[in-house]
Amino acid sequence: MSGWLIILLMWAVTYAARFVGLSLGRLELPPFWLAFLRFVPVSVFAALIVPDVLGSPEWARRLIGVTVGGALLWRTRNLALGILGGFAAYWAARLLGA
Amino acid sequence: MTGQGRGFDWGAFGRGFRVMVPLWAGVVPFAVAYAVTARAGGLSVWETCLMSVTVFAGASQFAAAGQFVGGGVPGVAAALALVGTTFVLNARHVLYGLSLSRQLPLSRWQRAVTAQFLTDETYGMVLVAGPRDPGGLSVGFLLGAELSLFAAWNTATLLGALAGAVLPDPDALGVGVIFPLAFLGLLVPLLVGRAALLVALVSGLGAWGLGRVLPGGLVVLLVGVGGALLGALISTRRAEGRA
Repeated sequence: MSGWLIILLMWAVTYAARFVGLSLGRLELPPFWLAFLRFVPVSVFAALIVPDVLGSPEWARRLIGVTVGGALLWRTRNLALGILGGFAAYWAARLLGA
Repeated sequence: MTGQGRGFDWGAFGRGFRVMVPLWAGVVPFAVAYAVTARAGGLSVWETCLMSVTVFAGASQFAAAGQFVGGGVPGVAAALALVGTTFVLNARHVLYGLSLSRQLPLSRWQRAVTAQFLTDETYGMVLVAGPRDPGGLSVGFLLGAELSLFAAWNTATLLGALAGAVLPDPDALGVGVIFPLAFLGLLVPLLVGRAALLVALVSGLGAWGLGRVLPGGLVVLLVGVGGALLGALISTRRAEGRA
């Protein structure tokens, strides 16, 4: 499937979610589905992170990078610092032959 | 011009625009990282920018960029799994819309326009800063805040996409590690409470295990839904236990 077609489908489903919410007004969702929507980013983000680290041929270096980056993010909540710190740790491990 | 007439309130628009400027520092590096990942995955400069203009949802754009990586453009099944993940990931916008529309009556046209630019950051900021605005929470303030982030996101995407075009082999630069790091930056602030930690752990390891037998896009979709169901079960059970 071509790239731009996938992008337009992604746009359609995203716009629909935004428009439907703004249009439904006073609908009350049951607590279960409110909780479900709250947990979606947690499960999806974790499902993207772990295989990308542990499933990589260079998993040891990446693990060092995300461990350092994760610790920085946990302490500072600063996205740029976490990415740059983790990237630096990854490169340190790579240069040291890990 | 001051909001009393039927004209658009540019004053509120400007204040909404400015209230988001401090958040640019957060979205700019993320947009650049997204663009570099998308370019490394084989998307063209214009496809990379098209996604930022249309989808305009950071996490799902980045997730999609990661799915393109390696194999280039995916087949139909993988593409549909990718669109499914986008839908699941962005379904939370329904909540923002519900919440906003309760406090700000919008005409059909206003809904159609403001829906395109609604994001987590804008929702959070407008809900807090909007009522404090001299004109109260208004369409002008909302749209100003939305377009502020849109401008920053798309400018940074374009710059990142152009930079990605001149960068050498992504493996040589080690930019592959940027993808998990960026998502860790989004995940860490969400890890509040034991249920969230458990969901993250089960989903992460589950996706790694399933990734050995199923294609990546489908794994993210299945585990995304399964993990969120688990979290909803745990948290609503616990709430009932307390009641």
